[in-house]
Amino acid sequence: MKSRLSFDTVALSVMVVLAVVIGAVILLGEGAGVRVRTDVPVDGIVGPFQKVTFTFSDKISAEIASGLISLDPIHEGYLESLDDYSVRFVPLKPFERDVTYTFKVIPGEINSTTREVKEVQNWQVQVREPRVAYVVSAEGQSGIWSMDSFGRGAKRLTDETVKVLSFDVAQSGEFIVFSSQNQNGGIDLWRVSREGGDASLLMDCGFDRCTTPVIAPGDVRIAYSREAAGPTPDLPFGSPRIWVVDLESGANQAVYEDQSILGYSPTWSPDANRLASFDGLTDFINMIDLRTGEHLLFPSTTGGPVTWSPDSTRFMYTTFDQTEQGGRTLVKLADLTTSETLNFIGEKDQYDYSYYSVAWSPREDRAVLSLRAAEDQPTKILWIFDPSLLDGIVIAGDTDYTYNSPQWDVWGSALLFQQFKLKGQYAPEIGLWQEGSNQSVVIGEGIMPQWLP
Amino acid sequence: MFSFYLFPLVIILCVETITSKRISRNAVLFILLAVLLAVTLSLLPEGFFTWLWDKLNVFATVFLGIFVEAVPYLLLGTFASGLVEVFMDRDAMSRWVSNRPGAAAISGAFMGMVFPVCECGVVPLTRRLFKKGLPLSAGISFLLAAPVLNPIVIISTASAFGWGEMLLWRFVISLVIAVTVGLVFSAQGEAAEVLRPVMAGDDHDHIHAEAGDSVREKIRKALLITVDEFFDMGRYLVLGSMLAAGLQTFVSQSALLAIGSGPVLSVLVMLLLAVILSICSTVDSFVALGFTGVFSFGSVLSFLVFGPMVDIKSVMMYLQVFKRRAVFYIVGIPFLMSLAAGLVFNYFVK
Repeated sequence: MKSRLSFDTVALSVMVVLAVVIGAVILLGEGAGVRVRTDVPVDGIVGPFQKVTFTFSDKISAEIASGLISLDPIHEGYLESLDDYSVRFVPLKPFERDVTYTFKVIPGEINSTTREVKEVQNWQVQVREPRVAYVVSAEGQSGIWSMDSFGRGAKRLTDETVKVLSFDVAQSGEFIVFSSQNQNGGIDLWRVSREGGDASLLMDCGFDRCTTPVIAPGDVRIAYSREAAGPTPDLPFGSPRIWVVDLESGANQAVYEDQSILGYSPTWSPDANRLASFDGLTDFINMIDLRTGEHLLFPSTTGGPVTWSPDSTRFMYTTFDQTEQGGRTLVKLADLTTSETLNFIGEKDQYDYSYYSVAWSPREDRAVLSLRAAEDQPTKILWIFDPSLLDGIVIAGDTDYTYNSPQWDVWGSALLFQQFKLKGQYAPEIGLWQEGSNQSVVIGEGIMPQWLP
Repeated sequence: MFSFYLFPLVIILCVETITSKRISRNAVLFILLAVLLAVTLSLLPEGFFTWLWDKLNVFATVFLGIFVEAVPYLLLGTFASGLVEVFMDRDAMSRWVSNRPGAAAISGAFMGMVFPVCECGVVPLTRRLFKKGLPLSAGISFLLAAPVLNPIVIISTASAFGWGEMLLWRFVISLVIAVTVGLVFSAQGEAAEVLRPVMAGDDHDHIHAEAGDSVREKIRKALLITVDEFFDMGRYLVLGSMLAAGLQTFVSQSALLAIGSGPVLSVLVMLLLAVILSICSTVDSFVALGFTGVFSFGSVLSFLVFGPMVDIKSVMMYLQVFKRRAVFYIVGIPFLMSLAAGLVFNYFVK
């Protein structure tokens, strides 16, 4: 009987102590108020499109959170609810360089249970300097490298055994998606972080070829070109079609159900709602609105990439057409708000400038175009111009070189491009033009340069 | 509703019939009962039978879900119990497990690594181990910890949540709770005081391994014990599964989830859900994963810690092994500790 009493006493005492502890935890916890955490890095250095998540220790709606969270200086963006506890600030424009932004959470009630944030909390962020991602080919292998915009600090991001065929950088700059051949003879899609290291398989395409991945702004969807394998290995691959994979849901499907619509060079609109691709069989650019399914066709014979205006309402593309002056490469401008397409550049040209590689910058008043500098010159120069005035400057015009694949940075203030020296030893180089300068500089050797924000 | 208006008329007719003695009283009572039944049914709201049929379908589905999920593990546990009975002697037990309460409780908590059983299988196995002389503190901590601290559950938790904080804290807190309860039970000098008489007294099994038995004979006996014990514990599994299915069918989970906001209520709701859902610990991580984002880290953690220790079907089986006051402590202390852990995480950690 003695031991039973002892056991019960011990057990009940433990329960009483636990009850007291629980009471104390509740008392102290309520006194401390709601805690808020963010995913801002310790050093506060972030990408230009960094989404900042605020996680509250109690449930909160985006509406109430918007009353508690502020950003100084004010920056265009919105708060979205991730779940019952978290909201995320999504910037609509890139954070500016050399500006320190302060996210602040002020005290206030967060829901009807009268729980409240009791302390002011601040997090400061600054935008990191963008780097440049590019491919270096050597000894039958090709890997992705990165360097800063001065050409320093080059480092390899992919494993030495990987042969990269094409790649794209996420808008956030946090990861890169690339295509690489697999053991079946097909081509898979892989993902690697901006810091490099072990790549993870994003899309096992088996015997199919999945190439030219293009990450949509927002970094959720990826468009790519897919060629189905033949029924037997000796039969050729099928024609390329555009597919889209959603990284959040895992959904992966062809954009067009109609298998006769082929697709190369997918291009996302800046709002990530529309997707353009080129069908080389019919010589049409297919443009689809993924929200509504609206499908538009634009005749083009050049197959050059489409480039969008920053507000996603217009886009430019090239085509070859007969004009009064003869056969000319034209730059066309399609306006989706008025459903009109006009001959923008080239209709009255004295000779064919062979326009190509048109790229509209994130700034409305700036675009770049590659064109032949002279009728007897095969090489192309780069011309930066204002689309509203059609007035501009040549930023890369050495006739020993040909320039193409221009890539604007997220602010539209710097331009990366590829240049090849046609005379002498073949050496693909990466050029850079920065705002305020009339001339470009070479920052390194490599191919397919892209900004790594 | 038509029969409702006919009711007074039927009563009058019945009374007339009885008084006229033309038919027997039993027949009249039968008619009355039938009429009463008809009236009752007519008073039920429209669509009641459709609702009831739907609910019964849900009940059957949920019951089968819980039962079918748990049965293999009960079978595994009873088979382990049979093997322990025929292959392990008391001397071996005393060699392997320390008699010191603290050491016994800790070693008991880690025995799940050797006997990877979930909460259904652990009860018969613990019962058998008690018979083999396992100290009370070790048995209790094994009972509570084994459903979490075993390789299968560690891997399934890692599959759902990754090799991160959720796995770590689930493991650590389960260990702490199991060892604490084990230590509390070490204050009980006589195991017989907390075990039910059928457990504490003479062995009721008629099958025993003899010294000269061959391995084949031992395995045959182990299988016979397995069958006996499986049907012995299985009825409580059926009963527990029915109770859990009934609660899941008739207690609105959406209502529970709706009230589960706030650092305290969210933990309490998740603890209650852990008991009601009665999910096997080998798969509960994937269910818990669905609660992340809706419930706080601490609440989900308390679900993952408490659920494997206490749910309806395991309580039904505990009652077959332990006396009621022991079951009260086995349920109560883990409940309070899981609640405390969930609150600490909700208020101060995550």
